[in-house]
Amino acid sequence: MLCERCKIREANIQYTEVINGVRTEHHFCAQCARELDFGQYSAIFDGEFPLAKLLSGLLGSEEPAQDTDRLQQIQCPSCGMTYEEFVENSCFGCADCYGVFDVLIHENIKKLQGSDSHKGKRPLYQGLDAGAPKEEPPVPVFERDETEEAIRAWNRKLKEALKNEEYETAAVCRDKIRELKEGKKSDDKMV
Amino acid sequence: MTKWYEQEVKEKENIISTRIRLVRNWNEYVFPARLSERESVEMLGRLCDGLKDLGAQDGRHYTLASLGDLNELEQGSLKDRRILNSFVLARKAPMAVMISDNEDVSLVLNGTDHIRIQSIQAGLRLADVWKTVNQTDDYVNARFPYAFDEKYGYLTSFPTNVGTGMRVSVVVHLPGLSMGRKFPAMISDMGRFGVSIRGVYGEGRENYGALYEVSNQKTLGQTEKELMDLVGNVAVQLNDQENQVRAMTLAHHRLEREDEVYKSYGVLRYARKLTMKEAMTFLSQLMAGMADGLVRTEKPCSVYRLMLGIQTANLRSLSDRPLDKEELDVARAIYLRRELPELA
Repeated sequence: MLCERCKIREANIQYTEVINGVRTEHHFCAQCARELDFGQYSAIFDGEFPLAKLLSGLLGSEEPAQDTDRLQQIQCPSCGMTYEEFVENSCFGCADCYGVFDVLIHENIKKLQGSDSHKGKRPLYQGLDAGAPKEEPPVPVFERDETEEAIRAWNRKLKEALKNEEYETAAVCRDKIRELKEGKKSDDKMV
Repeated sequence: MTKWYEQEVKEKENIISTRIRLVRNWNEYVFPARLSERESVEMLGRLCDGLKDLGAQDGRHYTLASLGDLNELEQGSLKDRRILNSFVLARKAPMAVMISDNEDVSLVLNGTDHIRIQSIQAGLRLADVWKTVNQTDDYVNARFPYAFDEKYGYLTSFPTNVGTGMRVSVVVHLPGLSMGRKFPAMISDMGRFGVSIRGVYGEGRENYGALYEVSNQKTLGQTEKELMDLVGNVAVQLNDQENQVRAMTLAHHRLEREDEVYKSYGVLRYARKLTMKEAMTFLSQLMAGMADGLVRTEKPCSVYRLMLGIQTANLRSLSDRPLDKEELDVARAIYLRRELPELA
């Protein structure tokens, strides 16, 4: 079915309107739907629909009406974010927001994530302000694959040589890369 | 330099790529949404300065670019290659990207969070990708202490990322499975296992190219390993099921399959105009045919690289003048005629 507005593109949005019990159905393409005003549902047609915005709706509708005024006055002292702003964007302003809004969001985070406590990796380096002076772990050293790095370096030289039209150098680089790659393959097989 | 997506895909392998990204925030600054322009610039300067020896440490060669210095096409092309996302591109604040030469590692600074670390590899390479991301994370952390909470873990701008801050995505090519009538229902059912599956290319309900991305929905309460196993298991399952479906069609309809693959190759090789939908559909059939050993190209050929190559932003960036829709279709056909190797 073609979009009833532009009559060019395929309609992929079905919009059902019920006014005073009269039901009308419309078919639009995504582009026209974006241009039309659907009030609070417009966000759905704004390009990719972010999951996070959907959360706003859930968070916002959770609270009973009488609490709303009081809740909206809560503000994060570090970044000035209010609860209302948070609900609108589903986006925290700073690390402290998590603590400030914890009472309000705890249940929702648990619902959203299926859990409320972190498992897994912890930062290795957190400065010295976190309680007792801990000994800092040594600066991390990347486990490096020397062959892979050599290949990368020759590749860079190859690109450079091709750019400067130095074909003899390029041929040398190409042979080196092939040699290293073959050596790597047989290494892999031995493991 | 061979980019990760230029590697050839092995036989019976429908898994295109593995990507892991971590989001982190520096505990000295408020999150990007509340940073003033001045603070953003200051923080970016300090981050770039602190990270400048990353290349010397991990043996890669990085290019640092301010997002504002990249034109719209370059930004679009980075989005197609999964280095930037639409959230980041919609932001007006000063941002920077660090990209390694073969694009296997990238960092986005002051995007939706202060630091976004990502690594991509071709095929299913969860352990390797995690090792790279994890080491880079430790390197960054040694210079910039993170916003971390005992209960909620790594703190992020969006509550959808809190905890591990990790998103694991595996892209799978499913031309056989996705033809099944039950496929849409199966995809939406996957939510129950904690993974989401979405089509990579296409508009609305249509999918072009049968590429699907499997990723973890939740980020809190599971370890990084658990999340990787979850996504990896689903991807392997889908890969196996796809192989079964394709083995069946090969056993019963080999001629039809061959016909389909050769026709697709013929169109890609000789067409003068190709829409995105046509090109993606034929490339997908060629990809399946190559994986099933029905056709071989003379020179090694990564069909996925071609799929990235025919995206609008890339075609536009290859052209020296603006292209309208029809000219784009012509440019797409020219690109494929030039890049597609002869059959062996």
